[in-house]
Amino acid sequence: MISPTFFTLAVIGYVCATGLALAYLVQRQDLIYRLGSLATLAAWACHSLALAIRGIEQGRPPFASLTEAVSVAVWVVVLLEMWAERHYNVRVLGAFVLPVAVMLSMSAVGRSLEGPAIDRALSGAWLWVHIGLALIGIAAFVLNFAGAVMYLLQERALKAKRPGTFYYRLPSLETLDRLTYRTLALGFPFLTTGLLLGALWARRVWGSVFAFDPLAMFSFVAWIIYAATLAGRAAGGWHGRRAAYFAIIGFAALVLTLGAGFLLPGRHGS
Amino acid sequence: MGLFVAGMNHRTASVGVREQLALEEDKLREILREVLASGGMSEAVIVSTCNRVELYGVAEVPGEARATVFRHLCHHRGLDPASVDPCLYTHLDREAVGHAFRVAASLDSMMIGEPQILGQVKDAFALAQSCETVGPTLHTLFTQAFAVAKKVRTETDVGRYAVSVSFAAVELAKKIFDGLASRTVLLVGAGKMGELAARHLVEQGAFPIYVANRTWSRAQEMARALSGTAVPFDELTTVLASADIVITSTGAREPVIQRDMVAGVLHGRRGRPLFFIDIAVPRNVEESVETLEDVYCYDIDDLKQVVDANLRERRREAQRAEGLVEREVGKFLARLADADVIPTIVSLRERLESIRLGEVKKTMARLGDASPETKDAIDALSSAIVNKILHAPITKLRESSRAGHGRSWTELVHELFGLGRQS
Repeated sequence: MISPTFFTLAVIGYVCATGLALAYLVQRQDLIYRLGSLATLAAWACHSLALAIRGIEQGRPPFASLTEAVSVAVWVVVLLEMWAERHYNVRVLGAFVLPVAVMLSMSAVGRSLEGPAIDRALSGAWLWVHIGLALIGIAAFVLNFAGAVMYLLQERALKAKRPGTFYYRLPSLETLDRLTYRTLALGFPFLTTGLLLGALWARRVWGSVFAFDPLAMFSFVAWIIYAATLAGRAAGGWHGRRAAYFAIIGFAALVLTLGAGFLLPGRHGS
Repeated sequence: MGLFVAGMNHRTASVGVREQLALEEDKLREILREVLASGGMSEAVIVSTCNRVELYGVAEVPGEARATVFRHLCHHRGLDPASVDPCLYTHLDREAVGHAFRVAASLDSMMIGEPQILGQVKDAFALAQSCETVGPTLHTLFTQAFAVAKKVRTETDVGRYAVSVSFAAVELAKKIFDGLASRTVLLVGAGKMGELAARHLVEQGAFPIYVANRTWSRAQEMARALSGTAVPFDELTTVLASADIVITSTGAREPVIQRDMVAGVLHGRRGRPLFFIDIAVPRNVEESVETLEDVYCYDIDDLKQVVDANLRERRREAQRAEGLVEREVGKFLARLADADVIPTIVSLRERLESIRLGEVKKTMARLGDASPETKDAIDALSSAIVNKILHAPITKLRESSRAGHGRSWTELVHELFGLGRQS
């Protein structure tokens, strides 16, 4: 099996990229930024290769166990990060997104990639779609979280009238608010469809939508928070600080979801 | 021949001395020509701005050249050279190169990072060129100084952050809004500072501009000057609802913008930020306004605080720039030194190559029917021998010239290999 080597390389690469991104936040040097971008891209390429090999070896999409799924989520997060960094021209985005990506990767370290994989009897095309959509949604919410944190930091700097590192490095409030809104609008439909498919699947197979599955419970809580935020933004004129707080609460719920998946017994395995 | 810079700047000479030595273009031309004619110097450039008067030159004895030039300068102005002498500094060779780079990169300026100095140095250089007082050394030096200045500007933030109150306000607006194009500006009062800040915003694309003033005619006047619209003072609240940036600079004793007024318009704005720039003393915007959500309010002290922070940031960046300049000086000197020995290296190579070719030709003629492989082998063998022999002398030449005594070694090599006289 070659894929574990590439997975390890990818994690090492992400750690390096995170270090460089944080260094760039403190010391605005072009060279550091370029090295950081290179490290991110290289690590992501290794990661892609690892996932591809894994998929071929197993003869199924590489997100059958929760550990694998987290890995795929990280892969999407980094892809989105690279895109948003260029699109919004926020060069310090990596410093806020990559640490989360590394922490997610670390949560999977030490666990066998195998994990309790999906029961063969349960598998089917819709199940893969359920997982895939949910993962894309989660990845978008990682960026949503990073955007919210950056917004709050910049807002605080402007209100406090004390220009510091964040004031100089972060873009305008409007840009950050737009980034947070867009990632929410992107992630929500994916999460919704993902959850819906999961619920339909569960009813068909187990006859009940939630039936003692902690991960499903928590993800439903997260979904409600995001739904409320999106509704507030679209109809209630929510924005800025309030929207940012909700983005952070929503993300906390997602992290709990993941923790529940790893630690509590349930159908998503552990 | 030695490269040197001699002169005075804002740190060594008071403005009283500097203004007396500042020279207009015609005088500069005259002096440049005189300096070269009076001997002792082979190249000269004089940089004269309100913050510095400096002579960059190449001379056998820099000390004498400096004395001559400044005696000339003082003579032109009717000054006693002895009164100027204590203000003068002289940098030689390496220090002179570093100084030229630092001046062009605006690291030696009174306001670090200010952009005008590079243009002034370029003008001084062009003037000297037109007087034909620039030779190869100063040409290389200044061209490189311009390149280093550009590098400092792009690789560090030394000239990036605003150091005036009105520009700091524009910068803050850019941290709140995503670009200033098509932002509505409301100017309350007709103070000079307010007008200046409004002008900067207009330059960044802000539009439309509304002007409110207690005196209607003043409002109209200012509106005309800014291509904006005058609005009656009692319609302030209406305009406030649509404004993005509000600049206040009235002489009112009581706040003109009250919390209730702002709170009242916030709902209709649906979260669009509102930025108050309050330049008036006493303040025109009630203090509690800034506690409202999406409202940012900077008074004159806050803006000064931002300027101070910007200055600190510039100084931090200047430290980085100093390191960059130091590395560039090293590179430049190595290149200059190489330039000293390169002609010798080239003629040494040519000499050995011509010997080799001659001998190979003779040998080939004698061998006659040898196979192409044999001929190739002979050619390769002779090349290898020549390169092996050349390696040590060339390395030595480069090393010695970088260490500053290339001349004696090039002479030795010329003698040993019979390369003829060097220029």
